[in-house]
Parts: sequence; structure tokens; C-alpha cells
Amino acid sequence: MRRETVRALLAHELRLAVRDRRAVAAAVLLPLVVMPATLLAVRLSTERVDRARAVTLYRYAVTGPWADELSRTLQAVPPERDAGTADGPEARLMEVPASDPEASLRRGEIELFLEAAGPATDTGPHARRVRIHFPADRDVSRDGAARAKAALQEAWLARAEASLRQRGLFVEAREAFPVESRDVATPADRGGAAAGRLLTALVLFLMLTGAAGTAMDVVAGEKERGTLETLLTTAARRSEIVAAKHLAILAVALVTMLLQVGSLLAWLSLGLIRLPPGFAIPVSAATVPALLLLFLPLAALVAAGLLLVSGRVRSYRAAQLFLLPVFLGGLVPALASFLPGVPLRSAVALVPVANVSVAVREVMAGRFDWAMIALVALVTSAAAAGATRLSTAALSEEESLLGGSTAPPPTDGPAAFESRVTAWFAAMWALLFLASGLLTTLRGQLLFNELVVFLGMTLAMARRYRLPLREFLALRAVPPPVLLAALLAIAPGIVVAQGVFRLANLFLPVSSGMLKELAEALRPRGVPPWQMFLLVAVLPAVCEEMAFRGALLYGLRRRLRPAALALFVGGVFGFFHFAYFRLVPTAFLGVLLTILALLTGSILPGMLLHAGNNALALWAAEHDLPLDRLDPWVYAASALALVLCFWIVYRCRTPYPGLRPWRR
Amino acid sequence: MISPVEVVGLTKTFEDEARGLVEAVRGIDFECRAGEVFGLLGANGAGKTTTLRMLATVLRPTAGSVRVLGHDAVAEPTEVRRNLGFHSASTALYPRLTPRETIELFARIGGYPPKGVKARVDALVERFGIGSYQDVRVERLSSGMKQKVSVARTLAHDPPLLVFDEPTVGLDVLNALEMVEIVQELRAEGKTVIYSTHIMSEAEKLCDRIAILHRGLILACDTLEGLRRATGAHYLEDIFVHHVRGVG
Repeated sequence: MRRETVRALLAHELRLAVRDRRAVAAAVLLPLVVMPATLLAVRLSTERVDRARAVTLYRYAVTGPWADELSRTLQAVPPERDAGTADGPEARLMEVPASDPEASLRRGEIELFLEAAGPATDTGPHARRVRIHFPADRDVSRDGAARAKAALQEAWLARAEASLRQRGLFVEAREAFPVESRDVATPADRGGAAAGRLLTALVLFLMLTGAAGTAMDVVAGEKERGTLETLLTTAARRSEIVAAKHLAILAVALVTMLLQVGSLLAWLSLGLIRLPPGFAIPVSAATVPALLLLFLPLAALVAAGLLLVSGRVRSYRAAQLFLLPVFLGGLVPALASFLPGVPLRSAVALVPVANVSVAVREVMAGRFDWAMIALVALVTSAAAAGATRLSTAALSEEESLLGGSTAPPPTDGPAAFESRVTAWFAAMWALLFLASGLLTTLRGQLLFNELVVFLGMTLAMARRYRLPLREFLALRAVPPPVLLAALLAIAPGIVVAQGVFRLANLFLPVSSGMLKELAEALRPRGVPPWQMFLLVAVLPAVCEEMAFRGALLYGLRRRLRPAALALFVGGVFGFFHFAYFRLVPTAFLGVLLTILALLTGSILPGMLLHAGNNALALWAAEHDLPLDRLDPWVYAASALALVLCFWIVYRCRTPYPGLRPWRR
Repeated sequence: MISPVEVVGLTKTFEDEARGLVEAVRGIDFECRAGEVFGLLGANGAGKTTTLRMLATVLRPTAGSVRVLGHDAVAEPTEVRRNLGFHSASTALYPRLTPRETIELFARIGGYPPKGVKARVDALVERFGIGSYQDVRVERLSSGMKQKVSVARTLAHDPPLLVFDEPTVGLDVLNALEMVEIVQELRAEGKTVIYSTHIMSEAEKLCDRIAILHRGLILACDTLEGLRRATGAHYLEDIFVHHVRGVG
């Protein structure tokens, strides 16, 4: 590699990057304003929510044989002693009359009700019980229940003290065994632990947003403008061109990241963004070199990954198609630091990005395992070198090199839809993300996701681009054996997916607590089973199949070869399910469903498999079936059964029309 | 003496999604002599651009060989490109660079001695009359100005071999005429030029020898006089039609 040539090309690339007004605006100016403004908005919104919660009235009703006594007990508790939750001093429990508390709760007239169970007169220990009824999927009800529980405990303590006093024992019951807790962590320790978990994802996000525009421009943009061919006919070698472009993206990524960090610090110093009280970040002499050792290879990997995407596609527009998966594919492993019980000295050290995330967490917590830090840097650098090599190869690929269309983009019909399908799905993802923060009940979330986002937007796409609905949604009849095979594939499918999850767990372990929490969230109390079946099994099967195997598959069918199509659609399906540790099994199911659609040209068998899978998963969770802890032979047998089912489908195949050939 | 360009059995096969396997170039042979303008004459889709792209090492031949000043295009692509300046309708300029920056960049990466780059840029700016807009970004120039910058860019590293692929496509009459004059000047300076076109009058005016390329095959290759003698036709258009109709 000739240094003089690389230097000339690098100066040229940087000059172009600086002169690209749109890229500069997107990479620097917008984030300088948008990021702090977002944080400011979040702060104001949180403060508003806190203020609102501070004056919340938790309405409750009391029922049961000794309701009056319970009601009096609860009302006798001094307000300052019932603060069982994090809300403010103005929050109060307020009893309201209700003849049918269950109905009042359903109608939202009360947040909870207390059932005074047992005999009307106290006949001895354990004869009476108080049951608190509340829907756990409503924040206010959850808070109210916690407050009621705390108030009752306070009342029992007061009663115990009074009883002891009657017997001549003057004991402050709550002082009998005073418990004090002392946090031995310093503010710096706490700050380090919190910052360490977030830092990699934040840095990665800043680098990706900063460098994406430049990366897309340096190869995909050049192909489109015809300047790449000009460059390739010069004496510069492919490797020199790639090195210069890689360095340029790297420089842009680092500079924009530093600018944004500087901007955040400036906003902090101006007081527009506030850190939690007592928050401090520990920086020792070893922290800076350790972070540099971890983040520089990460920046090189980000630059190489973006360059690879830009090099593999024919045009700027096509490059944008891959941006969302690149962002998500990068950010998801960057959250590995949130996984409890994942030490740096484990297989995670070999997983690019995830390894940096865990290593940074350790460094910020003041633990410097230099050997592992060096290994992480080495693995990340190797991944960056591999991606750069692939980019060099991509520059020699004639098919992608000489592509690029100069025809004006269509505005209507299938071609227009194909060029915008990923933008639609990016918007859908953003909408889901926003809704997950705003909608508080599981039922509300599911209904919004399925009916508004998946079904509504799919139909909106069909209407906007005037697409033939039957063809667009692949609503085609299939031979009965295919439906039978889809039905038979349900049980082995879910078992194999769990096996895949177990395999993925070797690299990115998930705590059982986290899984239990998710399972709990998916079966809220108070929702009848038939409703859960409709919400979790039927509705997603219909709406998500229409969106993913209908709209997305239709939009991408001519862009990707079938194998890549199955992986891509399956991967996007996985990313739409948010929970990081569910990504692999969900993506696996997505790939299976896409293959089914490709082989049958229809989404109907997929709907059947999808509904069956979800229903079985719900049933397994309800009955605590250990699908992720089966013997290996069960997974192997299930895989065999699954292959057999797909073989039946293959034998009766009616392939999806208009696909690209499977091979070149 | 080494020929500037030697092409032997050159073949290029593409896979096209709509048409299947396409043989764009089918085993062609030709040789360019030093200091001549060698014309590649053919209709659209004849295989001219594919041939020239293989010559410039942008595409890899499926079979056969290309040698430029003794360097093999597959084994020594960098050496081949160092000796060659490639100009076509599809080799665009960077819109965000000025003409001066463009010429300087291509002189540097083309391997022109670093110390002489400034003088070389000055000379080319002077030669093509670019001086008045040398610091204006290319995106703001007219197509005629861009054409001059593009040729200057092609010559920046002073290559002995120049390849012009349909250089007058999209130009108005005056600019096209200017391009033809530039090529004539280059020949006068002793440069070897490969000039591809489908415009008969340009080929007649410019080329010392002409190869008629049709459907990936060279049907005839000779001087204009030689082609006239072989076919009995006077005008190049008639000569071209004579050969192409012969293939059917």
C-alpha cells in the first residue's frame, strides 16, 4: 500500500465529507441540537409525570364479611406512614363505595379493591386474610396496591404494639429489630456502574448516526454518480481506495462522537440537562487508556461495517435499506452490559461489540482485566479487518460496481413500494417503540401494535401504492397437505426455537429472573384465557403475517435472493419483538415462517404455524413447561420432525411468484 | 518494440437476470500501434464499453488477455492503469471539487511525481482554458466546461495511452467538435488513443485504423482506405452496414 496515494485519497474523502451539507447537517448540527433537546424534553416530561404522581389519589373499595373493620383500620393509618411507593407526599389512598368492586375495577372507577376474607369476628391466628385485587398491567393500580399493602402492615404493627401495651409491655414493635442498611458504594462507584452499562451503546449510537451519511456517500453515492468508475480507472489500488474511505469514515465517526459528547457536557454545565443527585463518574489514570483501547477498535469496526454495506449495494437508496438492520444489529449486542451475571472472562469476549460492552462495564466499575481488555481489542480489530477485506472484495464485484439507475424513481405501483418498503418498516418500528413507552397496559399495547401498526399500516401501504391486495398479501389457497404440515410443525418448531435460544444463551446468557419477569408480563392477572389466546395467538398470527410475510416479503422479493430474503425478513421480525434475549428464537421463527411463505406463495400456512406457536408458548408458560431445559435428543428429534414437515411442504410447493433465482 | 495495446481472444460473459447468460465480447483480437488513433466502431450494445472496461481493468475478462505496454491487465492491473487515461460518459467528475482540485487529485493518485504536480496542474489549466473557473465547484459548471475538466483529469498523470469511450455522447455540436480537436492534438503529441464511437463521421475524421465491432465480434479491422477497398463502398456508414448485414 502506498502511503502517498492513501494520504491523497484520504484528504480528498475528508474534503468531500466536509462539503456535503446534508451529511454535515445530519451528522453534526442536528444531533448537537436534537440530542440535548431530546434529553431536556425527557427531563421535563419525567418531572411532569412525577408531579402528577405526587398528587395521585388511589381509589379503592373494601368488600367482604369484615369490610367495615378493615376500612376503619386502613383509614386510621397516619398518612405519613403509608408511603409504600416512590410517589410523592400528596398521593393518598381514598376509599370509594362500590356495590360490585370487580365491575368497578374493570370500568376503571377504582384502582384496586380489598377483600376482607374470613369470618366476621376474629377467631384466631390465620383465620382472616386480606386480598388485594388489582390489575398489574396498570401502573397506578400497581402503585396503589403497594401503598395499600404498606398501610396495612403499618396498621398491624400499630395493633401489635397496642396489644403488647394492654399486657403491660411497652415495646415499639418496629424498633424491636431495627434494620439499617448502609450503601458502601461511593457515588463514583454507583455512577461508574450505571455509566458503564450505557456507555458502549451511547458511543456506538453516536458513531453510527455520525458516520452513516458519509459511509453511504463514499461508495454507494459514488456508484450512483459514476465517480467510482472514474476512481477505479486510476492507478490507485482497490485496497488503497478502501483504506482511505475507511479512515475517512472512522475520522467522521470519531469527530462527530467527540462533538456530541462535548455538546452534552456543555448542556450539562449550563444546567439544561441534570444528572441524578450525587452522581459521579470515576476516572482513574487507567480508565482513559482502557476506554481508548476498547473504543478505537470499535470505531474501526463501525466504519468497516458501514463501508461494507455501502460497498455491497448498487445505490444510495439501496444502502439506506440496510441502515436499520446495521443500527439494530450493532446496538443490540451493545446492550450486553445489562445482562446480569455475564463476566468478561466468558465466551462473550469473542463476540464483537458485546465484548466491548461488557469490558467497558467492568472498566467503569474500576475492574481492569488487562489481558481480557487486550483480547477484546484484538477480536474487535480482527472483525474490523475482516469487514474491510470484504469491502475491498466488494469493490471488485462487477455486478454491484456497474449498477445504479439513472431513471427517475417511480412514485406509484409495486416498483415505488419496493423502493420504500424499508422506510415504512422503520417508521413502524419507531411507532412500536414509542407506543411501548406510552401505553401502560399489555392489552392496550397488543391491540395497538397489531391493529394499528401491523394491520393498519400494511393496508395503508397497499392503498398508498395501489397494490393488488391478494397478490400483495400473498393470500393464495394452498394444498391441504401443506396446511397439515404447518399444523404438525408447530410443536417441533417451538422446541427447536428453544434449542436455538439455548445455543444463543451460551454466548449471551440471560438470567432466569429476567425470563420469569417476561413470562409474568405476558400473563397479566385479570385477563381471561380466551382473551389472552386471541391477543397473543390469533391477532399476531393474522396481523404480523400480513405485515412481514405479506408486505415486507412482497417489497423485497426482487431485491434479495430467496436465502437472503428469508434471513432478512426473519431478522427484521426478530428485531420487532424488542426484547433483546428473544431476538434469536423469534428471528428463527421468522425465518421458518418466511421459508414457508416462499415455498407456498401464501401467508395462510404461516398464519396457522404462527398462531399455533404463540398459543403453545402461552400454554407452556401457563403450565411452567421447561421447553428450554429439555434433553438434547428431544431437540434433535424435534429438528428432524421439523425438517420432515418442511419436506412435505417442499414436495407440494407452489413457490412465491416473481422471486430472484436462488443462485447466480 | 512493445505494442501499446495487445488484445488476444478477449471474452466477457455476464449473467443477466432477464436474458440469462450474455456473451458481451466473444474472443476478439486487435492491436494498437504507438501514436495512432484506433477506432472501435459499433452500434449500442456491440461490446465497445465492455471491451474498454476490461482494458482499464474495471472488468475482469472471462477469457483471453489484454496487455498494455507489456503489462497484463489481470496480473498487473495497477501498472496498466498507471499507463492509461480513461474517459467516458460514465466516468463522472466529483461535483463538490473544483477543477483545480480534481486535476491535482488525479495527478497524485495516478502516480505523477509529487514535486511536479503543481506545475502539471497549471499547465493543464492553461492548456484547456480552465483558468477562469478553476476554483469554482464542478457542480456549478456548464457541460462544456465539465468536458474540458474531464479531459484534463484524464491527462493529469500524463499517460501514454488514452481511452475515450463515446466521449461526445450528450454534447452539443460545438463541444463535440472541440472534443474531436482535442483528440487530434493528442495524436499530434504522440499519444496512442483508443476511440470508441457509434458516430461514423467522427471515426472517419479521427481514426487511423477502425475495428467494426458487432455483437461482441470484430467483423473488420483496417484503415479507412483498406475498408473501402475490401467492400467497394466509399462511406464508412455503407462499409459498416455491409459488414453488419453480412452477419445478419
